[in-house]
Amino acid sequence: MWLIQLRNELWKLFGKKRTYLGFLMIVLAQNIFILTFRFSHASRNAIQVLEGNGYPAAAFMSGLTIATILIFPMVYLLLPLYTSLVGGDLVAKEAEDGTLRMILCRPISRVQLLVIKWLAGAIFALLLVLFLGVSGFLFASAWFGWGGLFVFVPGEIFSVYDPWSGLRFYVAAHGLMVIKAVTVMGLAFMLSCFNVKPAAATILALSIIFVSFIMMNIPYFKDLQVWFVTYHLNAWQWLFLQPVPYWKIASSMSLLAGFNFTFLLVGVTVFHSRDIKS
Amino acid sequence: MIQLRQVSKLFAPQWAVRGLDLEIARGEIFGLLGHNGAGKSTAIGMMLGQVWPTAGDILVGGHDVTLHRRRALEKVGAIFESPAFYDFLSGWRNLEIFSHYSARTTPARMREVIDWVGLAGREHGRVKTYSHGMRARLALAQALLPKPELLILDEPSDGLDPEGIHEMRQTIRRLHRELGLTILLSSHLLSEVEQLCTRIAVMKQGRKVFEGSLAQARLAQDGVRLRTADFAAAADLLTRAGLITGTLDGGVIRPGPGIGTDEIVRRLVAAGMPVFEIAPVEQTLEGFYLALMNGSASGNVNPSP
Repeated sequence: MWLIQLRNELWKLFGKKRTYLGFLMIVLAQNIFILTFRFSHASRNAIQVLEGNGYPAAAFMSGLTIATILIFPMVYLLLPLYTSLVGGDLVAKEAEDGTLRMILCRPISRVQLLVIKWLAGAIFALLLVLFLGVSGFLFASAWFGWGGLFVFVPGEIFSVYDPWSGLRFYVAAHGLMVIKAVTVMGLAFMLSCFNVKPAAATILALSIIFVSFIMMNIPYFKDLQVWFVTYHLNAWQWLFLQPVPYWKIASSMSLLAGFNFTFLLVGVTVFHSRDIKS
Repeated sequence: MIQLRQVSKLFAPQWAVRGLDLEIARGEIFGLLGHNGAGKSTAIGMMLGQVWPTAGDILVGGHDVTLHRRRALEKVGAIFESPAFYDFLSGWRNLEIFSHYSARTTPARMREVIDWVGLAGREHGRVKTYSHGMRARLALAQALLPKPELLILDEPSDGLDPEGIHEMRQTIRRLHRELGLTILLSSHLLSEVEQLCTRIAVMKQGRKVFEGSLAQARLAQDGVRLRTADFAAAADLLTRAGLITGTLDGGVIRPGPGIGTDEIVRRLVAAGMPVFEIAPVEQTLEGFYLALMNGSASGNVNPSP
């Protein structure tokens, strides 16, 4: 029954037009960025950095490099926005619409219902990241072609890879991004289990993420960065450091797993104690 | 089928339900009456495990709803006022989704129920294109899919036009007659309850103020119609004699506790007043209900049948 109920939850999720908003906006944003790079001087800075370090720009200004540059704004802005939008809807929207009351006159436990909803949200997060990676790579490759990967974050990352190694790291980074997307979705999902409007759950989750991100970047809190959830949410980009700090990444991932479990546990506990009324 | 023992629910700072005892036997159509905010929906919410009771025990089908929700609700269907669906999906898909929360449901069973409620031919249309009546039928279909033995209807006629209300009433009769369901009907429509239910309970401010059969309700006011040559004089005599506690409109007296009509007749005749008619008043459910709400009828609480 779990699988059938999960399938039904996905029917509900993907039957709504707003679920596709994230996919649509990602395609739009990606293409605007790619065309800007292609037909303006936006890539000049990257070319100067490459050539200044003795690398031939033509070999590294590839679809893979552009797709990786695209990831940053997407993952910092669009991904939290759309995963929290869906996560915030999962319980609160059903409570608002009255369908939750219809469900809860059925012999299903509240815990099972929430776990199924969380799984549906996690599948959405996975698909969104998968789409982000594949579409970014395909669109960027169509304009910039196949080539090596160059990743540059001033003061943090300077890495160059041959095309196949670059692709491997590109794929692996998306694997870690799934954990980030699921965590943000899980945070919104937890808030959605309280007696709040869906928009409130989404906005609150986004606020937590953005406030955490801003505080983490205030110099005063530099030494305390590890205590901020956003620090660990950005662990995916450490894959582009050379050498790769695998232990640090693993430690952050285990913390995110803990966050996810805690969010779900808090959500279940709150939801279980709630009275569901019309 | 349903047993509530001293059930209370506090929505601080107010008690929504207080000390509610209720027993609904298998096979009956039971009406739950009360004003808005009387505690009916909260009581139903507690029966369905949606609202946690502050105190008391709730048994459905012999199982405690709060402890063994799954077993208690296995054979229960419910319809609420303004039933909510996933409007962007088809009626068929909605039925699949809701029924699978109970158990695996075959397409044949779904087809059978769709035919039964009269939704055949429209089941693959999106619910947002359904009329109010069709939504009511869909709600009934989702409630019937798990082959329930108990059907809980919370204001099922709410928002329906007179034709829809009539149709719903006929459907409830059919459900009882053909499927032998036990039905708990919460409604504001007293005429509906009067026509359908065998027993009723009336709630007021979270408390049960009456439970019993409709016949008992009709007699519960303890009013006695008295026709004499001079009603005012007769009433005055009886009041002074301590035989009645008051009078009501339309020549009705309210005998005191333990006072029978024979004693009243004896006293009037002894005083030389002719008695043309004396008989207990059988009033409408509406009259009884209004009297209860205004506090002038006695809440003859009849415990379990």
